[in-house]
Amino acid sequence: MSKRVWNHPEPSKDEVQTQVWRSAGELEGNPLFQNHLDREFPEGGDLTEEEQELSRRSFVKLMGASSALAGLGLASCRRPEAYIVPYKEAPEWVIPGKALYYATSMPRSGGGVPLLVTSFEGRPTKLEPNSKHAETKGTDAFTQASILNLYDPFRSKEVLAKGKKSSRKKLDAALKELASSKGKIAFVFGEDDSPSRGRLAGELLKKFPASKAYRYEALTNPVGDEVYGDGVELVADFATADRILSLDCDFVGLDEVGPTRPFFDRRQGGAHDGDKLYAHKIDPKKMNRLYQVEAAYSVTGGIADHRLRLAPSQIIKIAAAVAKNLGLNVEVAELSADETKWAAECAKDLQANAGKSLVLAGSRHSAELQQLAVAMNAKLQAFGKGKPATLVQTGKKGFSNLAQLAKDVDAGAVDTLVLLTPSNPVYDAASDLDFSALLGKVKTSIHWGLRTNATAYACDWHIPAAHYLESWGDTRTAKGTYSLLQPLILPLYDGVGELDLLSALLGDGELKLGTETTPSAGYDVVRQTFEAQVEKGAAAWAKALQLGFVEDSYSEAKPKAALPKLTEALKQAAPKKDSLEVVFAADSSVWDGRYIDNSWLQEAPDPISKLTWDNVAYLSPKTAKALGISSKLTELEPVNNVAGIDVKNAPRPEIGEAGAAKAPVITITLGGKVLRIPALVSFGLAENTIVLPLGYGQARDDGYSGGIKHNEAQPTVGHVGLNVGFNAYPLRATAAFSAVGATIAKTSDRYPVALTQEHHAMYGRALAREVSTMPNESHGHKVSFDEQLKKVKKQGIDSHMPPNHSIYKPEGKVDEESGKRVKHLSDDRHQWAMAIDLNACVGCNACLIACQAENNIPVVGKEQVAKGREMHWIRMDRYYAATPDGDEDNPEMIPQPVACTQCELAPCETVCPVNATVHTEEGLNAMAYNRCIGTRYCANNCPYKARRFNFFDYNKRNPLIKKNLYKGPAGEKQVGDARSLQRNPNVTVRMRGVMEKCTYCVQRLENAKIKQKQITRKKSLGVGSTSVSISAEELRIKVDSVKVACQEACSASAITFGNMLDGDKSAMMRAKSSERNYDLLNYIGTLPRTSYLARVKNPNQAIPGANSVGRATINIH
Amino acid sequence: MANIFPRWSNFTPLKIAICLGAIGFGVTFVFAVYSGPASQRVGYQPTQPIPYSHDIHVNQLGLDCRYCHSFVEHGAQANVPSANVCWNCHGPNKVKSDSPKLAPLRKAMAQNEAGENVGEPIEWVRVHRSPDYVYFNHSAHVNRGVSCQSCHGDVDEMKVVHHDQSLTMGWCLDCHRSPEEHLRPIEEITNFDYDAEEYLREHKLTNKDGEAITSQTEFGEFLKAHWNVKPKESCATCHR
Repeated sequence: MSKRVWNHPEPSKDEVQTQVWRSAGELEGNPLFQNHLDREFPEGGDLTEEEQELSRRSFVKLMGASSALAGLGLASCRRPEAYIVPYKEAPEWVIPGKALYYATSMPRSGGGVPLLVTSFEGRPTKLEPNSKHAETKGTDAFTQASILNLYDPFRSKEVLAKGKKSSRKKLDAALKELASSKGKIAFVFGEDDSPSRGRLAGELLKKFPASKAYRYEALTNPVGDEVYGDGVELVADFATADRILSLDCDFVGLDEVGPTRPFFDRRQGGAHDGDKLYAHKIDPKKMNRLYQVEAAYSVTGGIADHRLRLAPSQIIKIAAAVAKNLGLNVEVAELSADETKWAAECAKDLQANAGKSLVLAGSRHSAELQQLAVAMNAKLQAFGKGKPATLVQTGKKGFSNLAQLAKDVDAGAVDTLVLLTPSNPVYDAASDLDFSALLGKVKTSIHWGLRTNATAYACDWHIPAAHYLESWGDTRTAKGTYSLLQPLILPLYDGVGELDLLSALLGDGELKLGTETTPSAGYDVVRQTFEAQVEKGAAAWAKALQLGFVEDSYSEAKPKAALPKLTEALKQAAPKKDSLEVVFAADSSVWDGRYIDNSWLQEAPDPISKLTWDNVAYLSPKTAKALGISSKLTELEPVNNVAGIDVKNAPRPEIGEAGAAKAPVITITLGGKVLRIPALVSFGLAENTIVLPLGYGQARDDGYSGGIKHNEAQPTVGHVGLNVGFNAYPLRATAAFSAVGATIAKTSDRYPVALTQEHHAMYGRALAREVSTMPNESHGHKVSFDEQLKKVKKQGIDSHMPPNHSIYKPEGKVDEESGKRVKHLSDDRHQWAMAIDLNACVGCNACLIACQAENNIPVVGKEQVAKGREMHWIRMDRYYAATPDGDEDNPEMIPQPVACTQCELAPCETVCPVNATVHTEEGLNAMAYNRCIGTRYCANNCPYKARRFNFFDYNKRNPLIKKNLYKGPAGEKQVGDARSLQRNPNVTVRMRGVMEKCTYCVQRLENAKIKQKQITRKKSLGVGSTSVSISAEELRIKVDSVKVACQEACSASAITFGNMLDGDKSAMMRAKSSERNYDLLNYIGTLPRTSYLARVKNPNQAIPGANSVGRATINIH
Repeated sequence: MANIFPRWSNFTPLKIAICLGAIGFGVTFVFAVYSGPASQRVGYQPTQPIPYSHDIHVNQLGLDCRYCHSFVEHGAQANVPSANVCWNCHGPNKVKSDSPKLAPLRKAMAQNEAGENVGEPIEWVRVHRSPDYVYFNHSAHVNRGVSCQSCHGDVDEMKVVHHDQSLTMGWCLDCHRSPEEHLRPIEEITNFDYDAEEYLREHKLTNKDGEAITSQTEFGEFLKAHWNVKPKESCATCHR
């Protein structure tokens, strides 16, 4: 029986309206989606074997035995003796139970990330962006999750020699021999820029004159050096960019070109003209406009004002047409009428804003496209100081690429190969290069890395690396700010830092590692670099270390003027059914494959497809139909089809999102190589294009052929990375990131996939709201931007609702006995609330992972995710929307993060039989975990479906071993205790049978409040406490001084949080007073404390399809 | 056929039922009374590795609580002192440095030839312990006028520390509901000889109506109003 729902009235048949859907199943009205909507946890028919085995009978049997045993144990019920073990000698600064914060940075390609690390008694637990730093005001999902790599139980711990366990002694001897040799050494570094490493590399090349340095990372395109110059990179300044044309550049996601915070500033009221955030409403004239041309949906494409979908090989045609319209002398190819208009109007808009417009080309595209973008930027006067684009000369000058390394090895110029790249070239280098054969051609190969990956086993030596949180180092951010790395902890597994290793080779080969009292060699190296390049003296060093960075910037480089030859590139015909185009895409969970063992990232649903724990081939719905892969988007077939006779008529999905969802397996043939991989449809994808995310399938032992076979003697992955996804690298013959001429064949196989897009689906329409700065056509009349803004609160059924009233009134009822007024549950110091701006949120998952790190949220594994049991407190919903007059194949995409909204009239509280979820005076819907008995009534009654239930002891038992959870207490525990070192000590680790959800990081709020209370003692000093009086205002924490984990991580400042009693001083309250502000499911009267700000799109009227932009909301009245 | 059961046996089932009921009630009652922290924890007095006497250090020598429990005003935990704090007075050639009772301390501070500490930390036996799901914060209390004495009893007189109060949730709530019974001036937090009435005789204080304050309750009300003390009773205050 489904629950009684007060739903929207059905619209009349003749009314045209925007269609909004989360999944193919919802679009087609699949009954399985209805099941997800009706039940908070769809179960029933999908019980596994193990669940069915545990019948009521066997449960009673077990219980009988265990209660009998419990009786025996009752006699000794005193609490066991516990010990307090204080320090022998207290270290400086440490206060037990209080966090310390240290500044460091995460080195990575595209610029280091300045961080502030939370450390409890010497163990780092959480990464926050360094807010003192002007360039970065947030972190992404990879950064947030990188702390888990530090505690990964499957990190490399042993020295390997020729793939077998060896000893430190033997390695030391080998290093000494190498250091004293006159070898021809090839050093392969990563793509991050480290001044100290650059300096050491220079000295090493002097010491070993025959050696050479290279850099390599799988997802960095070496053609960048060709286009911009050696070590030159393009950095965008979005603060000055009024118009942006992005040619498949996912700059807010997986293809960074500089800090993105200013880009979002330009889309939020107030922030874009130097005023306080949300101080006034959005001025369309000051808002930026983004044109995006791309093949598959990216998070950047989702926020774009105009999106054109084209196969990668066709993008250059649009680029050429735009360039031609800008007055550049380039060849052009024939385009459709709409595309011609699109290019002409886009060029016109860019031209009109010359000096303030910017053209970005995807870094994984061809040199021609990137050169064309440079030429267009030059034409638009985009280069220079205070202009949107800058070419910077990074310190990565003088390094060759991997193709050159192959040539050098073949020429005999290399006898020792030292691999220091975070990538895994044996696995991820272009397959034509045959990197493992290359390793055979050198005398000695040394691999240094965090994981024992394929390259580690293939090399002669493998040295376990220290994590960046364990090492000294330095790096530069995208714009060139010098940032320091300092170790937060001694290497857990005796890992060696990169600088330690290099300085050993520079010396006599003796590794100098850190101890409790002396720092590692890396410290001396960084210190010397700092003295030489920044400032001399201990005071400057101490200050830089405390702050984490020293203001600095790269020197500018001149753009190359040459126009590319486009003749060949323009000849490329659009992909066809029998000659498909393949995109080798960066993955938002594993990047190039290095995060395969990171369970947080694996379980975070892909921002676009909402797939977890796997990669699949994505096809557009039309292509999938045309190729016969699925006639309907979600095919319902009888499951027990024996020889054409339906045994059981139960319909089950073949492509779908329910627990039994299975995707059809296809074979992709490209250049003679074949890959068997499951396929899913994806909306907004260019026709006849296959998107293959890279980095998966590093080890499989379950019989699927699309991954490397797992070798138990030489495991390349741990529990997390085993049987995860399919390896697309072998298809990638060259260093290019797309290829044409692929064919697809259908197979009869099916593969189970864990998709979360239908999980925890909410009733109601107009959930994510959107307006356009352009007048909209509605019921035959034009609706201006201002009018649209006024209607934001009145969309869907909300237009029929009387206003809701808050129970949070300071005055209460009169007590009959005393005659005094008794105040309602209401605090006069703090009333917490949150606002989420959909105009800045792109759905990147950073908040989701930050929340997981802060609140000790467990991962549950693929099988449990498929059942809808993922534990993420923040659910990142993603809606597709197509207006009736719009392009159904290119719908809009709008993400919406939903966590507990802290309803003032919370439906969950009234149904809890044990008062485990109750309201606090400060407006939080609190959870007392130790009280919860797991009836799940609250989750059933939550209209936002924001509650998560611990069906198993996910925290204690390892959910990644097959059937382990079902063994109960007999199940295997989590591997090692390293994972528990990451836990936040201020948050309960929940056990089986407990409901949990977001409580606005109540631990941070309580700590801030307690800290504020110290004022009583401080004010009493010298005057006597009896003469002191403290007001509510003094006990109130400083405006916007406490930040919740999701808010802090967000690089777009989409989340504002604060105290409602601070009034307009708080950014959150200013956001809430915006016209764009609306409550989710307002019509049911729950009075949520979290509200949303409608998205505003800023389309160009002249572009084809502009009418259907900014209309993702179902416009009822 | 003769009656198998004699007449008196008619009431036997009832008697059995009454007996079982009484036993059941008794067991429940005993369990309810004696299994809680009030009975199980109060009076708990484990033997410590070093027979440290609060009586000597506080009462005789006049040491302030915060000399050893130094972070009580700053952090959630009132830390047990690290060995080097004890060493300040009991180090070589200082107070009782050769006493056999201090062997664990000397072991903790043992140095090798290079002068590095190679000792074993002292393992003090925990006396007061709140459950894992309780996030009690010392600084929130001592900075707002709740004395050490209110929860830990007369520690100054304890030769061996014992568990003085029950520390049950009900006990916590009693004070959160009527804090005026326990509030005292911030300066007197660690004063175990404090007496409200004596204090009020020395420091003349008047309430709003200008009347002299003489009792703890009145004084507590006075401080509560002046400091804006509003202890919360909602779950999230202590449980997260």
